Amino acid sequence: MSKEKSAPGAALGWLSSLKLTLVLFFALAVASVIGTLLPQEISLPELREHFSPVAASLINFLALNNLYHSMWFRILLLLLCTNLVACTIERLPKTIRLIRRFQDPFDSQKLSRFGLSSSIAAALPIEQAQSVVESAVREAFGRMCRIESGRAGGLGPFCAVSETGRWSTLMVYAVHLSVLIVLVGAMAGSFLGFKGAMNLTEGETSDKVMLAGAESVTELPFAMRCDKFEVSFYDTGAPKEFKSDVAVIENGSEVLKRSIIVNDPLTYEGITFYQASYGTSLKEAKIELTEPDSGKKIAMTLPFRQPVTIPGTSDQLMIDEYEENLMQVGQAIELVYAKQGRQSSAQWILIDRPYHGNKIENYLVRVTQTDKARFTGLQVKKDPGIWLVWAGFTLMTLAIGLTFYSSHRKLWVCIEPDKKSRKTIVTFAGRASRNTQAFEEEFEALRRDLENRLKNPHASHEIRGHKTDKKGTE
Amino acid sequence: MTSSFLLSLTTFAYLLCTVLYLAGTIFRFKPLLVAGTIAGAATLLMQTAGIGLRWVESYRMGYGHAPLSNMYESLVFASWAIMIIYLVFELRVRQRALGVFPALFSFLAMAYASFSKDIDSKIQPLVPALKSNWLIAHVMTCFLGYASFAVSFGISLLYLIRKRFPEDPNQDGGFIAFLPGASQLEWFNYQLVLFGFLWLSVGIITGSVWANSAWGAYWSWDPKETWSLITWFIYAALLHARNLKGWKGERVAWLSVIGFGCVLFTYFGVNFLLSGLHSYAR
Repeated sequence: MSKEKSAPGAALGWLSSLKLTLVLFFALAVASVIGTLLPQEISLPELREHFSPVAASLINFLALNNLYHSMWFRILLLLLCTNLVACTIERLPKTIRLIRRFQDPFDSQKLSRFGLSSSIAAALPIEQAQSVVESAVREAFGRMCRIESGRAGGLGPFCAVSETGRWSTLMVYAVHLSVLIVLVGAMAGSFLGFKGAMNLTEGETSDKVMLAGAESVTELPFAMRCDKFEVSFYDTGAPKEFKSDVAVIENGSEVLKRSIIVNDPLTYEGITFYQASYGTSLKEAKIELTEPDSGKKIAMTLPFRQPVTIPGTSDQLMIDEYEENLMQVGQAIELVYAKQGRQSSAQWILIDRPYHGNKIENYLVRVTQTDKARFTGLQVKKDPGIWLVWAGFTLMTLAIGLTFYSSHRKLWVCIEPDKKSRKTIVTFAGRASRNTQAFEEEFEALRRDLENRLKNPHASHEIRGHKTDKKGTE
Repeated sequence: MTSSFLLSLTTFAYLLCTVLYLAGTIFRFKPLLVAGTIAGAATLLMQTAGIGLRWVESYRMGYGHAPLSNMYESLVFASWAIMIIYLVFELRVRQRALGVFPALFSFLAMAYASFSKDIDSKIQPLVPALKSNWLIAHVMTCFLGYASFAVSFGISLLYLIRKRFPEDPNQDGGFIAFLPGASQLEWFNYQLVLFGFLWLSVGIITGSVWANSAWGAYWSWDPKETWSLITWFIYAALLHARNLKGWKGERVAWLSVIGFGCVLFTYFGVNFLLSGLHSYAR
């Protein structure tokens, strides 16, 4: 690297440096470890219950309780992407130049400086040595391609190269591209899509989805109806299948009927519905109020979440919540008592255990009857970026696989007469991008084969069954 | 004959393999190493039969699923994968003196699966989340990755041992001299890491495709997912440092040791210490 570098050049140099890559890999790994050790997605008050006040504020300040969605973690990921792009900008032109058919002129001196090179002196005329080398190399490596030696009139040495798997050096760029595609797909999904949940009671139709994270509701362009929800169990008691029979309703008419089970979601118009949970909901409850002083009993029917006026008063009662198993004591409802001009009060009433605490205001409460329905919990997702993610995954698998199984191997050969000894000197060198150990063995095998053939041209020609009529002359 | 009988026998057979490889290396007696290879191959066949039989038995019980669904079954498969990867590797590089660690790991995985009180070896029906064709693809690819990392870890240990005890030209070198040269060990390590990286990547990808069809999210920073990504980062760092920065030798060997530590945590630590979507893997 030159010392006087422009500021953008220096910035590109830093962004494309391998040091940055390694630092980012380790930083992301350490950050991810912290994220798995600390509880995630919990609020500051919840943090204070688990940690000392100082530690809790520190965790909150560094966003360690929502680490994977924090600004600094995203910056690390963004830096990794920038690093990938910068590396590509810096290295790809060199790689392309390398894999083009273009080859700088070379000579035997240059070849002898290679890490893997050898030289054989043969008592053969240059043309014959050339044909011997050509056939040996073709068998071991592939076709040879002659290179202009740079000297005029074609009187210079015979120079040629043979190479295979030039494209394999591009695979690493394909892996990098696939990482970018996956991340772009993930971003597209989070900006253009949504994730939410939908609880449907058997028989209910709805087009409203509760969005995850935010307390907001979105409306689908069509409605879903749940016809039936079923759970089946193995004889061991473990759950076997959760199944919702649903129908898609568009403009008031049923367009699709299907069941959704875990691992088999339903996709309609780009929106996917997954079987996520189930439960029981309350439609209405009959209750009996007892006035403690007079012992007078009042019977009421309360539909879920609808205020009903208590007969003989102007006060209202409403069932606000229903729990199937409240704190391990069974079914319970939460009653809200609204009195004009006063703050309303709320109280949990146990359904299965009538006890003295089942009270609201002055009334003793007894639940006499409940009308319940099963609901299915569907996860609803729209992710327009998913195809990019799948494409990235496919490319990544193919590219890493091909990187593993391929290698760019190149062999340079230079054949020239030696003026002093009047022999022909064959100099050759090789280089492989991967699996160099195996390549070294192959190179050694070629060297032995060449030595054998150059010293004993007739034998090798006879074995190969052609050119036997042409006799070598000294 | 039952699968549990065959698999118990497998446990002891792997112990025998380990002893043969260890004795062959320490006493520098080649026939013992050959015996180790033969015992390894025979045990692998027996274990394959055991796994196949367990598969058949699950159908007889009416559950019918590939034996890859809980901690016990995954440990058996891990031990199988380590041995098959090692034996293919041994065949390709014609080096028998590296078998001690892979055989030991296969034995330890089987022993832990068979004798630990935390691990239930009963064939159990699949819970709804596991009922998917992705089960076989995901578990197999992940464990092929883990197994090649285990073999690479063994080779890294041998490499580090070799570096700690340089050969003394005055002596005959002891068992160290019986091992392949440091540069060869370094090369083997790299090859196995690359192979493992390929399968780990495919394992993460298949897991993520599966999670998307089961839970509607291909990535949710669940501890298992996150730890597999941490492992992926460590090995990615190793490959980049070695190929582009010319890191060789001890630094790469240590990275491989750290990487395998992450593999172990992804496999055991997450199951036992952290909670998450993979809780059925206990």
